[in-house]
Amino acid sequence: MTRYLRLIRIFTGATLSAQLEYRANFLGAVLASLGEAGVALLGIAVLFGQPGTTSVGGWSFQAALLVTGFFMLTEGVISVFIQPNMSKIAEAIRTGSMDFTLLKPVDAQFNVSARNLNVLRVTDLLIGAGLIAYAAAHLTVTLPGVLSAAVLYLSAVVIVYCIWLGLSTTAFWWVKTQNITELFNGVFGAARFPVTAFPVPVRALLTFVLPVAFITTVPAQAMTGTLTPALAFASPLVAGALFVLTRLFWLKAVASYTSASS
Amino acid sequence: MTPFWRKLRVLFAVQFAEMTEYRAEIIIWMLSSTLSLVMMLVWMAQAAAAPGGEIRGYSPGEFATYFLATWVVSQLLVVWVAWDLDFDIRQGTLSPKLLRPLDPIWQRYMDHVAGRLVRFPALLALVALFAWWTGARFTTDPAAYLAALGLAFLGFSARFLWEYTLGLLAFWTESSTSFQEVVWLVYAALGGMFAPLAFYPAWVQQIALWTPFPYMLGLPAQLLSGKATLADAGRGALVLAAWLLVFWTARLLVWRVGLRKYGAVGA
Repeated sequence: MTRYLRLIRIFTGATLSAQLEYRANFLGAVLASLGEAGVALLGIAVLFGQPGTTSVGGWSFQAALLVTGFFMLTEGVISVFIQPNMSKIAEAIRTGSMDFTLLKPVDAQFNVSARNLNVLRVTDLLIGAGLIAYAAAHLTVTLPGVLSAAVLYLSAVVIVYCIWLGLSTTAFWWVKTQNITELFNGVFGAARFPVTAFPVPVRALLTFVLPVAFITTVPAQAMTGTLTPALAFASPLVAGALFVLTRLFWLKAVASYTSASS
Repeated sequence: MTPFWRKLRVLFAVQFAEMTEYRAEIIIWMLSSTLSLVMMLVWMAQAAAAPGGEIRGYSPGEFATYFLATWVVSQLLVVWVAWDLDFDIRQGTLSPKLLRPLDPIWQRYMDHVAGRLVRFPALLALVALFAWWTGARFTTDPAAYLAALGLAFLGFSARFLWEYTLGLLAFWTESSTSFQEVVWLVYAALGGMFAPLAFYPAWVQQIALWTPFPYMLGLPAQLLSGKATLADAGRGALVLAAWLLVFWTARLLVWRVGLRKYGAVGA
């Protein structure tokens, strides 16, 4: 375990020094983050801007803002930690450099998941955390609420990681899969609104088929104390099940790997 | 046929063949731009829950019609040229294109036009499916479709030119594609992707009227929904034509200055 923690430190140091070479890119990353925050905020601002509208799907403006905060935070987690690693899997398979990863005396899934970081998009994390803090300051939140939100958000991150890894692992068979993760982004776009803002059939789809509800709505509900116990238990269960499934899928994929030249 | 048009026709044929190679990806890209569809579902639920079953005169069905129409139009307006230019300039693949007896912009433009044609059948199938599911009702006036298509074509050309100009900034900066994300936000907001323009505060609407955005996205969508007249379409076309001139001039200026800056890779 300590070996893996040390590896994370080494990986982080290496990727940081590689990225800070390109200082001009920072401005671009900030612009992109602001753009994404703008899209997320405009969506709810126009909704609540209508005369007579005080709630969307039973959520007040501040509560809906909390969901937007979790959405931005997750965008940050994806662009800082998940996407820079996962997008390299397909490339490594295509060029054959996956061979080296598999030969190393480190768990290959850990290696492909933790090797890279995109520090430039830390602004997404900051904007997300800022929005959550701002919205929470206008709502009545309790300490147990915040703690359970933190735990549930952790399972949300696991869910997002598993979906990305699962989609990227298909590259072992299909090679060209960068586009499949675009599909995830499309579905994930629905997470910028509380799941109750959608028509009933779509709500069920976003909870049970594509577990988008667990990523932003459930942690926000935990924070405001409106979470049903069933959903509170379902979220870590879904995360655990997905983790086991993607792990098995990954092992199966690696077993069928035949390198680039054969 | 003049040599210029012959070159364009050949470029189109080549790019069309290339685009059909990517048809699976094209469908995935189409499905991944879901902002209009997400907004559609949220507004439909809002209208269904509102007293009287409508917001500002829009029932759930009318919201479905409007947002499905914006989805179709935004698919026709999709432009990715800034990414291509970023690659061409950074990797030096622009150099061989400069040797051709034609401005490289035409190859990219034809490539984008071909992309639209490859998209179209899948687009019609998807929108028919969504319309059946959400109860959207489009206009039956054929002239409205022609006008919407014409506006979408002008809008696509305008967007192509401004994205091309932004993409050319890659001559100077490494982060040219992020400018395009911010401009996309303004386009989506003022174009009416979050809500029909009438839902915005009055001062925002005033500003929007001076930009090309509402005429290229919201107006064609309103035409398809039967909520705009052909006279509106004519005025919109004039505004778009004026903006096309502006963007064309800007593109030409940036291109000339940029080429002087360009040294290809390793030079």
